[in-house]
Amino acid sequence: MTPPLSHRTDRPAPATRHPRQPRIALLLLCLLLLCGCGADHRFVQKAEFRDSREIVITFAGPVDPAWAENRDHFSVYEKPDPDIPAQIDRVELGPDGRVLTLRTSEPISRDIPHKVVLEEIRSGGVSQGTAHLTVKKLYVGHLFSILIGAMIIQNFVFSKYLGLCVFFGTSRKKSTAVGMGVTFTIVIIAASMMSWFLHQFVLKPFRLDYLQIVVFIGLVSLTVQGVDTILRKVNPALFKAFGVYLVLVIANCIVIAVPLMLADNEYTLLESLMLAAGAGLGFLIALFLMSSVRERIEFADIPESFRGLPIAFVVAGLFALAFMGFSGMTIY
Amino acid sequence: MDPVYIKLALGGLTVLGCIGVFFGIGLGLAAHRFAVEVDPRIEAVQEVLAGGQ
Repeated sequence: MTPPLSHRTDRPAPATRHPRQPRIALLLLCLLLLCGCGADHRFVQKAEFRDSREIVITFAGPVDPAWAENRDHFSVYEKPDPDIPAQIDRVELGPDGRVLTLRTSEPISRDIPHKVVLEEIRSGGVSQGTAHLTVKKLYVGHLFSILIGAMIIQNFVFSKYLGLCVFFGTSRKKSTAVGMGVTFTIVIIAASMMSWFLHQFVLKPFRLDYLQIVVFIGLVSLTVQGVDTILRKVNPALFKAFGVYLVLVIANCIVIAVPLMLADNEYTLLESLMLAAGAGLGFLIALFLMSSVRERIEFADIPESFRGLPIAFVVAGLFALAFMGFSGMTIY
Repeated sequence: MDPVYIKLALGGLTVLGCIGVFFGIGLGLAAHRFAVEVDPRIEAVQEVLAGGQ
């Protein structure tokens, strides 16, 4: 009475991975980087914010100073509100005639894309046409700042105090800490992506936002179960290495905090990906730092009553203080 | 009770039920597709053994 074995036992081992994959990833990255720059007019090379009140425009060639003198040629407004123009205080042309600086009388918010209209650009007496430029923060930079923010500046363990039980449970040895961190990163990225899709395309259209928590908890356990099932078959060695940590991820509250944050902040897909990756990598960093210290503490001369968990909490507090040094930092 | 709330609640139940069934079937298929064949003798032997620990 033997149960039927799987019908795939006689299949040959899977073929080796494609060597092309990293190259495709690199290409995508380059595309993403390229999308961030580039202006909308052939005569304008670059348009960017400089100060909180200045917009700098770089032309392909020198423009006529007489054209730059007349302030009526320039207008700046926020892209969502075209009927509220910003007051332009001063227009300066660089010595080589290629760099134009527009200075507004009031500070402009760099988070909002701005439109700049340059009417009838004149260069060497020839008209180059009217340019409608969009000036915005570099999107890649924005994504990067979300990633770094979740990873270091607003580290989930050290500045939000989330996921502490798994943090203390698995940071005794460096190898377990890294294993847990890697597993956690994979699971949190998968779970956040799924919860983003579900929130955007199911919960929001059906007005079921109030069921967020129930749905996200289900999704997290579903992801863990799915990764468990697939990994057991696809890569048994890795599965054995992950061991209990995979199941422990369910008990981690960062994994539920990230989908809730995504839903609250209305992040786009790429932004959510960055936040999830940042949270996972931040947890990995926290675990690695903590396990390095705890491995050394084993041999230290600590008062009897402080051994074990109490000194670990003290160390975590010191780490949190150190990480406070990052608070308030901004990138881009 | 306001019929709007009942409608909302019933809608929620339906949608969540659909999500649950969908992902349940997905997990079931995954478990079937990625089934790991375990030697049945291992379990049989373990059942026969005393297994105090």
